[in-house]
Amino acid sequence: MTACTCMVQEGQITAEQEARLREETRAFAERHFGSAGEINWVCVPEGSGFTAAKPSTSVIVSVRSDRPLAPSAREPLLRELEAIWREHAGRGADEVVSVITDPVG
Amino acid sequence: MPLYIVNSKAGAMPADAKAKIADDVTRIHCDVTDAPPTFVHVFFFEEAAMPPLGDKTAMLYGQIRAGRTDAQKAQIAKEMAEAVSHHAKIEPGAVHAFTTDTPASWVMEGGDILPEPGEEEAWLAAHEAKLAKQGANA
Repeated sequence: MTACTCMVQEGQITAEQEARLREETRAFAERHFGSAGEINWVCVPEGSGFTAAKPSTSVIVSVRSDRPLAPSAREPLLRELEAIWREHAGRGADEVVSVITDPVG
Repeated sequence: MPLYIVNSKAGAMPADAKAKIADDVTRIHCDVTDAPPTFVHVFFFEEAAMPPLGDKTAMLYGQIRAGRTDAQKAQIAKEMAEAVSHHAKIEPGAVHAFTTDTPASWVMEGGDILPEPGEEEAWLAAHEAKLAKQGANA
């Protein structure tokens, strides 16, 4: 399974959006890294998330690659992942942080 | 990025301390690294799995862009642990702070790969110009 961590702010994602985001992120992982995403969905409690020292509206999605990626291979994947989250979480351009890490070890 | 996670024991983090700690963490990070405040995320949890609390009351874990010096990272950890201790009224010895490095090229914010340390100013100018152009064309 591909490890995927999704951090969202409490109250900003509906149950319907969450279901779609889980499905799309799982499919993204399977499409590019060979195994479906194992989703670790983390909800930042209300009043507990800050960006630039102000209440945060950011989502952070991090997916672990199954292999080391060159920048030229990573960038389009980051762009695709970000597009998924912008569309289905209804977030603006500066509200989505996408991360694709190399495998551990 | 950076993402700072503050994990604490249940009931140890007063609600009114969170904004003050987030202020200090953001200021400290920007003072030490010259990064723009808009990069800095600070999230609070109680009894979370990561970072593990061990025998501490509060743990601050920062995922920061690779390229900072050991002295910068030590300063960040020291000053942020002090801020958590001060605002949450937790004994200094019961707070621990540490960071790990994440390559900038692994992270995208607002449609752009994050800049390497030291390249923030040019990145921010280009990024804001791009967003303004997108807004004008929307």
